[in-house]
Amino acid sequence: MHIVIINGSPRVKQFSNTDKIIQSFATGLEEDGSTYELYSLSDRKEWDAAREAYIANDNIIIAMPLYVECVPSLLLEFLDTLPTKRTKPAQLSFILHSGFDEGFQLRLGERFLRALPAQLGCTYGGCLVKGGTFTIRTSKPQDAEKMTKPYQAMGRLFAQRGTFITKEAAKFTGPEQYPWLLRLIVGLLLKKVVNNKFERFAQGCGCVRPLDYKAYQDNS
Amino acid sequence: MTIVLNTLETNDHDDEIATLVSNMGNEVEMIKTSGMNISHCMGCNHCFLKTPGVCAIKDDYEQILRKLAGAQNLWLISDTRFGFIDYRGKRVMDRILPMLNMNIEFRNGRMRHSIRYAPLNVGLIYKGHGVQDMLEEWCERTSDNLGGHSLGATALMGRKEGA
Ligand SMILES: Cc1cc2nc3c(=O)[nH]c(=O)nc-3n(C[C@H](O)[C@H](O)[C@H](O)COP(=O)(O)O)c2cc1C
Repeated sequence: MHIVIINGSPRVKQFSNTDKIIQSFATGLEEDGSTYELYSLSDRKEWDAAREAYIANDNIIIAMPLYVECVPSLLLEFLDTLPTKRTKPAQLSFILHSGFDEGFQLRLGERFLRALPAQLGCTYGGCLVKGGTFTIRTSKPQDAEKMTKPYQAMGRLFAQRGTFITKEAAKFTGPEQYPWLLRLIVGLLLKKVVNNKFERFAQGCGCVRPLDYKAYQDNS
Repeated sequence: MTIVLNTLETNDHDDEIATLVSNMGNEVEMIKTSGMNISHCMGCNHCFLKTPGVCAIKDDYEQILRKLAGAQNLWLISDTRFGFIDYRGKRVMDRILPMLNMNIEFRNGRMRHSIRYAPLNVGLIYKGHGVQDMLEEWCERTSDNLGGHSLGATALMGRKEGA
């Protein structure tokens, strides 16, 4: 099976969490004998080639981060340039991931994507949904790898079944929402530890303002 | 203060929009983004981690952000595509991250970023074939992100066919 993968993140490839997810996923694809070609929409020079590959192939995966509760505007602009009728039938599948952990966060994006293939003359090959990717690019390489590693198995599975509409893919999302006790504990942890860590991380990057700085208002 | 971001490219709904806007109270300002230079968010995270609250892209969006910082309500006017907001409408919403900050908390039982300014309520006025309940849900979710409540999604009627 040959698969066209399109990275719909606006973030340059080098820093894109989606790219790191795709790399792990593609390792799994290749382990099971599939091949792939990859295009990144953050580079507009790749748009024409991505569109041509989309038209000429029959198995396409678009991978993207959640942006303000749905797909990034840059990807919407690219989708606007695709033909709505096809001469060659194709399956369109998706990998949707987000900064926040809970499955709930991604469900509206997933809903939009579920209805999209039919509007482009394609069939729907499912949507792999998972949160918790915000820190991939800011983590140490070994920690980042821990976060992207599970996608390798999903790549293998996709190569075998040809779809994300499987029990395994559904399970991959994890919990829809943290139970209340965990929310209480994690909430406390965020307040006391994590948010301070962000503050120090920013300072380390040369940030001279507090993270909650009101740039366009009186801060006094 | 209520800010209306009109991202439509055409004027064919201007009368209807004017009526809707006139019912939004006294302090309303409408900004037409067609002709403005507004790029897509490129996810650089500077507004969270490097220059808190300030976007790294220096284009016409900054004047919008300055106004949003003092606003309570935001109405997006947008065309639709694939049943959802089109890329022009979504583009001005993807640039809204400087209204939040990096800190994370639970709000209504879900993880959210803390808000940088006052809560912002979000509503949508859309043109074309939008999926009403999907757009309503998007307003609810997006408002929740911004600490506010949804103002709802309303379809523009346009001229009656044949009239
Ligand atoms: C403009 C913008 C909007 C985002 N909106 C959401 C969101 O609504 N929910 C969420 O959980 N994460 C959101 N995120 C976080 C991204 O989905 C997450 O950081 C992802 O890992 C980025 O992948 P990338 O590096 O390939 O762009 C947003 C990020 C940006 C830059």
